[in-house]
Amino acid sequence: MKLGHINLRGDAADTAFVNGAASGLGQALPLDRNTISRSRHRIYWLGPNEWQVVTDLDNVAELVDKLRRALAGRHVSINDVSGGYTVFHLSGSDVPELLAKGCTLDLHPSVFQMGACAQSGLAKAIVLLGYIEETPVYEIIVRRSFSEYLLRWLRQN
Amino acid sequence: MQRNRLDKGGRIDRSRPLNFQFNGRKLQGFAGDTLASALLANGISVVGRSFKLHRPRGIIGFGAEEPNAIMQIGKGDMTLPNLRATQVELYEGMIASSTKGWPSVNFDVSAINDVFSRVFSAGFYYKTFMRPKGLWHFYEKLIRRSAGFGKAPTAADPDSYEHRNAHCDVLVAGAGPAGLMAAMAAASSGARVVIADEQNELGGSLLCGDYQIDGKPANKWVEQTAAALGGMDNVTVLPRSTVFGYYDHNFLAVVERCTDHLSEAQRTGVRQRVWRVRAKEVVLAQGAFERPLVFCNNDRPGVMMASAVSAYLHRYAVSPGRRAVLFTNNDSAYQTAIDLARSGTTVVAIVDSRPHAAASELAASAGIPVLAGHVVVDVSGRRRVTGVRVGKWSGDTADTVDGTISIRCDLVAMSGGWSPAVHLHSHAGGRNEWNDELHCFVPGASTQANRSAGSGNGVWSLSGCLREGLAAGDEAASRCGLKPAGLDVPQAEDPVPMSIEPLWRVPAEKDPDRCSKQFIDFQNDTSVADVRLAVREGYRNVEHVKRYTALGFGTDQGKLGNINGMAVLAECLGKSIPEVGTTTFRPAYTPVTFGAIAGENVGDLFEPVRTTAIHEWHEAAGAPFEVVGQWHRPWYFPRDGEDLHAAVARECLATRNSLGIMDASTLGKIDVRGPDAVEFLERIYTHNIAKMKVGRCAYGVMLGEDGMLMDDGVMARLGEQHFYLTTTTGGAANVLSWLELWLQTEWPELDVYLTSLTDHFSTIAVVGPNSRHLLQKVGCNIDLKKESFPFMSVKDAELGGVPVQLFRVSFSGELAFEVNIDSNHALQMWEMLMYAGGEFDITPYGTETMHVLRAEKGFVIIGQDTDGSVTPQDAGMHWLLSKDKDFLGRRSLSRPDCVRDNRKQLVGLLSGDGKTVLPEGAQLVIDPNAEKPVPMCGHVSSSYFSACLGHPIALALLEGGRSKKGETLHAALVDGSTVEVQIVSAIFYDPKSERQNV
Amino acid sequence: MLLISCPFCGERAETEFSYGGEAGISRPPDPDALDDAAWADYLFMRKNPRGQHLELWNHAQGCRRWFEVERDTVTYTIKASRALQTDSGDKG
Repeated sequence: MKLGHINLRGDAADTAFVNGAASGLGQALPLDRNTISRSRHRIYWLGPNEWQVVTDLDNVAELVDKLRRALAGRHVSINDVSGGYTVFHLSGSDVPELLAKGCTLDLHPSVFQMGACAQSGLAKAIVLLGYIEETPVYEIIVRRSFSEYLLRWLRQN
Repeated sequence: MQRNRLDKGGRIDRSRPLNFQFNGRKLQGFAGDTLASALLANGISVVGRSFKLHRPRGIIGFGAEEPNAIMQIGKGDMTLPNLRATQVELYEGMIASSTKGWPSVNFDVSAINDVFSRVFSAGFYYKTFMRPKGLWHFYEKLIRRSAGFGKAPTAADPDSYEHRNAHCDVLVAGAGPAGLMAAMAAASSGARVVIADEQNELGGSLLCGDYQIDGKPANKWVEQTAAALGGMDNVTVLPRSTVFGYYDHNFLAVVERCTDHLSEAQRTGVRQRVWRVRAKEVVLAQGAFERPLVFCNNDRPGVMMASAVSAYLHRYAVSPGRRAVLFTNNDSAYQTAIDLARSGTTVVAIVDSRPHAAASELAASAGIPVLAGHVVVDVSGRRRVTGVRVGKWSGDTADTVDGTISIRCDLVAMSGGWSPAVHLHSHAGGRNEWNDELHCFVPGASTQANRSAGSGNGVWSLSGCLREGLAAGDEAASRCGLKPAGLDVPQAEDPVPMSIEPLWRVPAEKDPDRCSKQFIDFQNDTSVADVRLAVREGYRNVEHVKRYTALGFGTDQGKLGNINGMAVLAECLGKSIPEVGTTTFRPAYTPVTFGAIAGENVGDLFEPVRTTAIHEWHEAAGAPFEVVGQWHRPWYFPRDGEDLHAAVARECLATRNSLGIMDASTLGKIDVRGPDAVEFLERIYTHNIAKMKVGRCAYGVMLGEDGMLMDDGVMARLGEQHFYLTTTTGGAANVLSWLELWLQTEWPELDVYLTSLTDHFSTIAVVGPNSRHLLQKVGCNIDLKKESFPFMSVKDAELGGVPVQLFRVSFSGELAFEVNIDSNHALQMWEMLMYAGGEFDITPYGTETMHVLRAEKGFVIIGQDTDGSVTPQDAGMHWLLSKDKDFLGRRSLSRPDCVRDNRKQLVGLLSGDGKTVLPEGAQLVIDPNAEKPVPMCGHVSSSYFSACLGHPIALALLEGGRSKKGETLHAALVDGSTVEVQIVSAIFYDPKSERQNV
Repeated sequence: MLLISCPFCGERAETEFSYGGEAGISRPPDPDALDDAAWADYLFMRKNPRGQHLELWNHAQGCRRWFEVERDTVTYTIKASRALQTDSGDKG
């Protein structure tokens, strides 16, 4: 499945925005820091007023449209950024140790738990990292231009 | 023949003999040996030559403190220089050589230095070789060769290294009794623990003596504890791992030597790993260093630290001598005497500087004579100790001792007391305090979340170390919010109590400036006389004395000699030791290889490579790449053996005459939305935003508050409250951060959101008179004619059925379009345009042609034609500055310095000879024959050969340049010659800008 | 390496942040009202204290928010880090 991405900006303290986004997306925004809301889409908390929606690429255009309608008239920013990211999925219990070679986050499963996310550095790239499945599976979302570099780093390690 | 090997005992595996070479000699040791213990077992006395005087030197210590046995280990590209033999585990086939001594340690041509040693006093190099001026470089080469540090390999390092980030509740540095106990205590509370020890096995001092814990040999306790720690999921045990640096906020660096102990054939995987540990709490349990005593010829091979002698006996089953004399000012050395006697070595006497010692009875019961109130004043023998001279000393401050007697011996084991290893405590920012009872510096108050335990904290007894380790582990766990498990302190007996009377400098038979060398720092050949000389010559501060005498430099960083040096300095200055203070300890605790520090950030991974979505096409087309920021951009697209010059000339002509195409995807792209977007951008950009109509573009610059050009780009109004900005390739991240800074700190009342679209959109520039035809040919759903889609406008469109954002902008002065497209479709779009462009001889071009085309039009590149000191007026951009509003940097433009007449201004230059392409960076002068230094009035910032014009062109920043058009100057070339240049307008091509407007 | 607490994302390594210099410098509301010396003071003059320093940091690899840090320039101890008073956390 090809993944698409939507960047959403809005005021988390504004319930009308939060509700509007939820109705547009069909899924609530994560309001707790460093967490992912996982349902039809994976919605990453990026900051106090920013989220990244990761979903089936084929959904993106329709979802952007729904969001724009649900949030019409409000001060928000909705951008299809599907072309901007490459996604890696890493699975296995050794993934935290692998990532620890290039990431300063504490990825011990007792600390970086299932459903957690963080924007951080991995090697010399900036990444969005999520713990998305119990088995475990980790999702690394990196700017497309860094993807060759990061793939090389992951392969070497 | 391991003639010094004891018949039994030791932690060596006699069933696994290991062959090795030392300075070409074939020798044998056992698994479990260090190189040092194997050399001693083989009776090798001389292992190196001293740094300055080239005196023969033997092994003196058994760990990180070793100053003499500095080795080059391994061969070829895997070789490592300057390792301490005492810390190198022996492996089959090891090839080791002394790093000092030329041509050999046994025959060193520079040993003549020793004969003239009075000439080679402190500051000798400074005094002798600094005159005449300039000759130092010549001398330096000679000195370096004869001083001899190890050889760095010349080829690329074949080994791999890595870094590993780690987090823990408690990091324990050192796995002796205190460290092991601390780790057990912390781990039992549930804390995540990392325990690191530089040795191959845990246990520290417990491996080097006959200790009992809980009624059993201490080795058993070590085994049990190590096994318990190893079995806990919350504990990471790192043997062969040195905590070498303690940095801010409890961040520590540990180097793990993963394969250095294996024979070269057995090594696989990572050779060394640097652990970057963030610890909530730290327990420092690194132990203590025994101090030498400072007497004449105390550097002769066979003079060793008493603790080292015990270590070699117990751990490696090696007796370093046959007839030993102990020389001490404290009780701990008595244990060594007993250890020696038990091993069958004759202990001739214990020479104790104190008149009374409690431990004397212990010696007496072992039948060892004690000479209380005596000192060893001198040593005989050159390549090996042959005896000592001993005299009676009443403890007064007299400099000389009379009535000495000679004692024959081949081993002198000395102990001047102990100094806690306070290094990491100091790295962390903690001060050290002088303790008048212990006569050593102990760690003072911690400034970070750490505590010291055991002998590293001045606790000399085993029971005390265990007790303090447990307490430290419990405390560290509590600070992490965990409940201590309440472990019991193991029971331990302390055979020898510890008392000490200071003896910093032993009196000699002659006065201190005339007697044989009394060494303080063995590695740097610093003696008592050198410190005294430094003081006589006016040095007072310990840091200055260090640099003048080299005391405390080198691979050992004064681990043995520092405190004695401070004490001798204090005596000379008539001050106390704490008044003199210590020099600063800095990382690394012991040397770390460059490979480990670089980790995996070498070769392909040295720097990230950013590539565009069309990169693979450029690669397939054979384009060389230019690195811009981290981006790899195609530089030019050579055909059939073309060089840069030929390819660029062809690309330029094709673009201006028909059609060029360029991947401009690396431009920074920012989406700006919100009700206050106009107001926000008015404050950022210098031109008027409100007047811009939806669907129109503008060239804009942003200034720093100092008024200097910071970045530029095209900005487009996509809606009433919606803009799109481009930034320079290199400036993308900084500009976004800059905009956020103003939004968040100064203008939070503005409702604006910024989103980076740099990677989402790829940008394809279609350039040249046929660009419109091309877009029409592939099928564009909007009318591209000038009337409906004029220059500097933007529209959503479809090209060949694919949605794009189409800009009519130009960075070349030609009719041109920029196609913004979702990067997922960029490569297909590029290929489609290339295919359709065949009939127009579509020509892909790279950064070089882009530069030529823009320079022909006088368009600046921020960061090339500007350098942070260029205002918009300097660059000829008056027309961009709105007079109707404030914007960042505007006020600065009226500062006196910004309105000077003679500011450097952008001009064009033509070479007088019509041929010379000026080097970028060339300085401009009015009169090349003026008296030197020739005054410079500007420099060339961009320079190319223009194929379209048939001659070179250049842009330059020139003092008062705009008023000097038509004048002639000279540009200085690299070879010292000059070329005449004419000052012209910066716009060389199509000065009325008609071509882009069709 | 410092451990800095981003008011939005929590404690992170220093490598995730970029430094923004002294905090609390306000842009004069009417730059033209300032003479050259006063403007130069705003532009160039910064405190360089030994001890407590109020400074701006940006969580560059994280949420991209700017925030204030109270840091001791001698011990590097961070006494506090907080969102800017101007930052309600929900404004662009």
